[in-house]
Amino acid sequence: MPTRQRLKELMISELMLDMAADEIGDDTPLFGPAGIGLDSVDALQLVVMIEKHFGFKMADQDQAKRILQSVNTIAEAVDQKAAA
Amino acid sequence: MRALDGLAFDGQMELHPALNIFRAAILVALAHAKRVIQQTLAHPELLPSSFSFCTNFSDEPETCRVFLGVRERRERAQELAGRFPERAALITLEITSPEAWKTALAEIEAQAGPLGVLINNAGFHEDALLANMAQDQWSRVLDANLNAVFHGCQAVLPGMMRERKGRIVNISSLSAISSPAGQTNYSAAKAGVIGLTQSLAKESARMGITVNAVLPGYIEGGLPTDWTPEHLKALKMQLPMRRFAKPAEIAAAVFFLASPDASYITGSSLKIDGGIL
Repeated sequence: MPTRQRLKELMISELMLDMAADEIGDDTPLFGPAGIGLDSVDALQLVVMIEKHFGFKMADQDQAKRILQSVNTIAEAVDQKAAA
Repeated sequence: MRALDGLAFDGQMELHPALNIFRAAILVALAHAKRVIQQTLAHPELLPSSFSFCTNFSDEPETCRVFLGVRERRERAQELAGRFPERAALITLEITSPEAWKTALAEIEAQAGPLGVLINNAGFHEDALLANMAQDQWSRVLDANLNAVFHGCQAVLPGMMRERKGRIVNISSLSAISSPAGQTNYSAAKAGVIGLTQSLAKESARMGITVNAVLPGYIEGGLPTDWTPEHLKALKMQLPMRRFAKPAEIAAAVFFLASPDASYITGSSLKIDGGIL
């Protein structure tokens, strides 16, 4: 399964989002009212989820902030790590 | 039937099947403990007789293991764990040390896999009027009763978050809400535990982790040893039930909150005081 699709499905199940995968745009902001509206608890869960399912461990909060912008930014980081 | 803190074993030393959902370990922080486990040891006549936790795990290869985190009074905890050699073990734990928690958790996970339940049971009080309270008295009580709960929760959360399930039961006290004179330190610490519990419950609710607090009142075997029989008698007369709690009555609530049956209860503070407040 492509990384972006897998990310969306994991987000829906693990963050208990009441939406379908195709409702999450690749570039939709994850946080804030203009986007999906995730909060800081979701961010923590995303960090754990990405480490658990993709083996990608965030180095620090700054990196997490950069990566946890959208499905695209997460997928790029995860795929880059997989290719390395 | 025997009770091991919040956990009950039947004659075959089996755990309640409800707890089998947690594959491995239950950590009971016991350093300084003056509560259920020691009371159970001190009063074997009070072991529960009305619970039915009898089951077998013939179809369930995985079973719970219980780890008692102990700093001192090891002999009593060892005596208890020794009754259940397949299920219970001691683990060295200085609850006020984050490093000690990490070490203990690593050892537990190596022996038994991911931790399912944490019961923050440790606690002690060192009473004095605030006007006379030494800084050390304040700090020691806050460290053991509140900071240790923070350290324990912080230590177990990453594993519970990975597993997306977990139960944390924090033993607070009726003193958190009754705030008797002479317990500014203990009351503040135990009230802090309630606040921590409620806040952490919100942070972890979506992760399949519940966090609850239990507020015991007077418990048989857990009262100051220098209280005279006359004092105890007079105290009982003031209680709505005119008796103290049996340790098993506290353990039953802890056990319930640790079980999957309590899956929609989080952030709760359950007082078990026989109607005092």
